[in-house]
Amino acid sequence: MRLAGLLAIALGAALLATLCGGTWIDPAQVIRALVHPRPDDVSTIVWQLRLPRVAIGAVTGASLGVAGALLQGLLRNPLVDPYLTGVSAGAAVAIVAGTIVGVTFAALPLLGFCAGIAAALLVAALARRGAGLDSTRLILAGVALSSLFSAAIALMLTRLPIGAAAPAILGWLAGSLSGRGWSELAFCTPYVAVGLVCALAAVPSLNALRLGDVRAASAGVDVARAQWLILGAASLLTASSVVLAGTVGFVGLLVPHIARRAVGSDARLVLPASAIAGAAIVMAADAACRTIAAPAEIPLGVLLAFLGVPAFLYFYIRSERATAAA
Amino acid sequence: MIAARDLRLRAGKRTLLANASFELRDAAFTAILGPNGAGKTTLLRTLAGIRPPDGGSVLVDGNDAASLSASARARRIAHIAADELFIEQLTVRDVIATGRFCHHRWWEWRESARDALSITDALDATGMTSFEHRAFATLSSGERQRVWLAMALAQEARMLLLDEPTSHLDIRAAQEILQLLRAQTAAGIGVVCVLHDVNEAAGFADDLLVMGGGQLLGCGDAERVLTTRALEEAYGVEMERMRSASGALRLFTTVPEARECRARARPPS
Repeated sequence: MRLAGLLAIALGAALLATLCGGTWIDPAQVIRALVHPRPDDVSTIVWQLRLPRVAIGAVTGASLGVAGALLQGLLRNPLVDPYLTGVSAGAAVAIVAGTIVGVTFAALPLLGFCAGIAAALLVAALARRGAGLDSTRLILAGVALSSLFSAAIALMLTRLPIGAAAPAILGWLAGSLSGRGWSELAFCTPYVAVGLVCALAAVPSLNALRLGDVRAASAGVDVARAQWLILGAASLLTASSVVLAGTVGFVGLLVPHIARRAVGSDARLVLPASAIAGAAIVMAADAACRTIAAPAEIPLGVLLAFLGVPAFLYFYIRSERATAAA
Repeated sequence: MIAARDLRLRAGKRTLLANASFELRDAAFTAILGPNGAGKTTLLRTLAGIRPPDGGSVLVDGNDAASLSASARARRIAHIAADELFIEQLTVRDVIATGRFCHHRWWEWRESARDALSITDALDATGMTSFEHRAFATLSSGERQRVWLAMALAQEARMLLLDEPTSHLDIRAAQEILQLLRAQTAAGIGVVCVLHDVNEAAGFADDLLVMGGGQLLGCGDAERVLTTRALEEAYGVEMERMRSASGALRLFTTVPEARECRARARPPS
């Protein structure tokens, strides 16, 4: 039932994100444009600007939410962020470098995606132990490689002639859905789909892993296989979200906490709840980004951090105190 | 039945067990004894198939354990680890339900009627029925041990392997756990326990394995294996073997006074 509540909130966010932006569009006009698309302004705005952004926001938020829930469950660590896989930093290096040397805009998603997955493979190779993965080494390798990639980005930004590419690069690093359309979404959909199927396949193992690796293995979980499945799913989902929206903080780390507060720790509920809550938050935040300073846009990552983090800390600490007092 | 064939175990470069062959019977209670660090936990995990052997093989009902899938292995062998961990949010029932993992395919998310029956039976057998909806984190050590046992029973395996199920328990809680395990052997289940208390082993076990110094120091029934010599070799402590009024075997460490007394009684050389 909590899941249904979250779904209602997400649908509300989707509706709101379709209505507002640079110009407010009447719900009646939106419905008319959706049902009978005509070559007028409203139809163009709805079909070419609003809907793709709403859809991309939903996919980005859902991907990051699920990736975060997967990794926090696998590592039994609530501080784990999907960017820990090295995916975002790897993709960022490739996209910044690609933009500077003038790779065509259409090839950037593929470049970023491949670099992100390559970085995740590197982190996984460093964290390998026996047939599976070592949790501590995975976290250390992810953090270490991410800071190395960040340094490489800083070096490129300071030493290379960026020129006209600066706004695109900065928008990308700060996280933004600006200028994304159906083609980026089409590119990512298969990877998101594979990632989600792998995530669903990992649900029973995730539940058993709540008892720790050894007890999960005793119960019949092939722990090494579950680790690779979960890391693979999280990497695919994170790489897709990074290609769609750049590096958006907050969502992958905090959405799983919101989901667990709402539905408990059962992975059968936590994964869908994380997907829905992540989608709702990114859609709503992107609508706010477009509206607050219209016609200018605030970067999505910036807004999420400024509004989301204090709100989350407030609610989280309050509910922790309530639990402690009870 | 679980059989070890030329089993070798190592921890880093140290040999824990060199080429040991033995069998763990169905419907019998086997105790594994040995000093801390001898490799009892490693041996138990290897026998449970959750850790590969460093040499030789483990056979489960005649099949090489390495050839079984994790689920197939868990349907034959239930293993209870000794490590204590913090489990947030889970109820007793959630923990026990995890034991049903091996009876599900990955897409079978719903609890079946068969699962519910098995969980109810496990709660009943361990006397935990009234704790079903309690948070696991609020239980005492003895109650937690019962929950782990219930989870293993829910696996419906023919062999139960337990790592120190009576450590940290008071005398009564320990006796209750051991009696529960003894009752399982009557139902045809093979029970294998790592124990620290030699007298618990003497009182409850049909077969004993004594580990120490990188090898198997003894294998067989209590009368044969629990000699003062084998125990002194394993633990490096002087032991005395006696009989209780009922004739049961009892083993004790020699207290300093007794040692002095014995020394005085010895004729001067």
